[in-house]
Amino acid sequence: MKTFSVGDWTKSRLISVVVALIFCFLCQLAFGGDGLKIYLRLLFSLVGIYVTLAVSLNLINGITGQFSIGHAAFYQIGAYTAALLGSTYFSNMANHSSLLWLFMAMIFSAIVAGVAGFIVGLPSLRLRGDYLAVVTLGIGEIVNIIVKNQKSLGEAYGLSTAKYESTVFAVVLLAIICIAVSRNLLKTSHGLAFLAVREDEIASSAMGVNLTKVKVTAFVLGSAFAGAAGALYAHTKGFVGPADFSMDTSFLILTMVVLGGTGSITGTTCAAIVLFIIPEKMRDMHDLMLGVPIGVAIGIMVGVGMLKKIQDTFHGDGKVRFGMNIGSMVLGIIVAYGASKLLCTIHGLQTMVNGQLFRMPVLAITLVVVMLLRPQGIFGHNEFSWSWVQKLIGKKNVPEAEVAA
Amino acid sequence: MSILTLKDATIKFGGLTAVNSVSFELNKGDLFGLIGPNGAGKTTCFNIITGVYEPTSGEILFNGKRITGTPSNKIAQLGICRTFQNIRLFQSMTSLENVVVGGFLRHKTVLGSALCYLPGAIKETEKLKLQALELLKLVDLDDVANTRSRDLPYGKQRRLEIARALATQPQLLLLDEPAAGMNPNEKKELLDMVKKIRDELGVTVLLIEHDMKFVMNLCEKIFVLDHGEEIAQGPPSEIRSNPKVIAAYLGEAV
Repeated sequence: MKTFSVGDWTKSRLISVVVALIFCFLCQLAFGGDGLKIYLRLLFSLVGIYVTLAVSLNLINGITGQFSIGHAAFYQIGAYTAALLGSTYFSNMANHSSLLWLFMAMIFSAIVAGVAGFIVGLPSLRLRGDYLAVVTLGIGEIVNIIVKNQKSLGEAYGLSTAKYESTVFAVVLLAIICIAVSRNLLKTSHGLAFLAVREDEIASSAMGVNLTKVKVTAFVLGSAFAGAAGALYAHTKGFVGPADFSMDTSFLILTMVVLGGTGSITGTTCAAIVLFIIPEKMRDMHDLMLGVPIGVAIGIMVGVGMLKKIQDTFHGDGKVRFGMNIGSMVLGIIVAYGASKLLCTIHGLQTMVNGQLFRMPVLAITLVVVMLLRPQGIFGHNEFSWSWVQKLIGKKNVPEAEVAA
Repeated sequence: MSILTLKDATIKFGGLTAVNSVSFELNKGDLFGLIGPNGAGKTTCFNIITGVYEPTSGEILFNGKRITGTPSNKIAQLGICRTFQNIRLFQSMTSLENVVVGGFLRHKTVLGSALCYLPGAIKETEKLKLQALELLKLVDLDDVANTRSRDLPYGKQRRLEIARALATQPQLLLLDEPAAGMNPNEKKELLDMVKKIRDELGVTVLLIEHDMKFVMNLCEKIFVLDHGEEIAQGPPSEIRSNPKVIAAYLGEAV
């Protein structure tokens, strides 16, 4: 085991912070522009916001194992806090120095959402599993309904507030902070106590872990990050309405966590990016011959069937197995392409349909396929690490302890 | 000096009296056995002591202080730790991490320092890992420190549970059927290990076990429960010849 040295620590911290800030700045430069880039900026900001939301929910669902499905409520509380404060009490400041106000809004919203998380969490975290899920689901709806019926909160019309270009910087920074905090937690003994609560409540309590404290802490932290993300959402769009925080949003965030692998920060981040971009990109699909989607469906079935067969029956060398998996995916793509071409020659299947119709079904099919092949999520409990990459490339001289760390 | 005292501890679940007015006393450094037929209330006794259940009446004293009704995690902090009859390890965590969680209850750094990855939290984590490695060596599991605990064979899982409990630095260790499912060789090793824990670490041990050879060889004092009530207590030689115990539990041949 490597021992700790202050010099190394300072150096690595400093480098990470500088790299993170430069990265945020580059993102702002690349996506922050005006004009034609408005759509791109919105898309990029939303991806960042959803990464934050998913990683913060992962803190509650994945790491601490408390099944919460009302995450949109805290996101909403944060968004409305920022919108309300920005358009009333702090409108001067909000109009003059956007970045300073953004950070203040983030902190305000995080505090308000965190307090809300504490109030909700303290009584409801005594429940377990399904019961907690139902309660959090209810809370999500309650918050949304209250907002819908409050005149001061704009009822169903929503609130408008200042809109900034500089949100990209803040969005990326928040996502990085959220990921860093989760990762730091897991690297220290405090995080192991959180994981222990997920694994076995009775045993962790017998080992002296304070269950209520751990659960409520996770809930408050997760809610606070969701609130901060909400503040950025409000200022990215310049508008907040109750429709953006419905149950669907909660489920989308939950899906990201489950798909990526509950507990895996890397998995959740990747899943959030993919799940947000696929449906967005599919908006570009317009006219399709009816044969194409049918052909693709056949291709998917063949590919998944092969994959499942390999997973169930082949137990040999990892590299061969990996190759076979890739092979079956390629086969699926070829079959999909061939079948589409073939089917489109049939007269009845040459009818034109709108490709956008398939936006949501494709998402659903993706989920079903992943859950069939990997019930534990794409990354399982695993995390990305450099030593893992080295191992994959084939450098054998990585010390065992480092891989474990 | 008495470390743990049960005074008329009773617990009722609805109409069922699981433990009825049980009283016994453990002195510092004892190897104390708790035996009895299945369903006699042995594990319930453990659950009362460790705060999983609160006794309906009676009281429990630890080092002269009343601990009845204290929550489990506080009891662990006071210095009582246990293992479980049906192994309850943190399954997807490695052996080392399991033991680190055991040592975590005496942490001094605050959560904020962990979230910001400050030197205090890192140093503490390293210290806990080193301490955990020592304990894994004690129970002869240091070779599987980085194996997921779910993947360990049964006997090793039992030993890992003991290491995890020891990491909380207990004064009193409760072992719930530690030898269950072990082969004779493993049982012998376990016997030596428990003795070592008592002699070297000075931990008082209270254990439940069905293997009479194991209990009689190990324990210096035995308490026999049947239907939630005391039927005998004393040194093994007395218990072995006690007619009530023979009738209720041991049978003629032992």
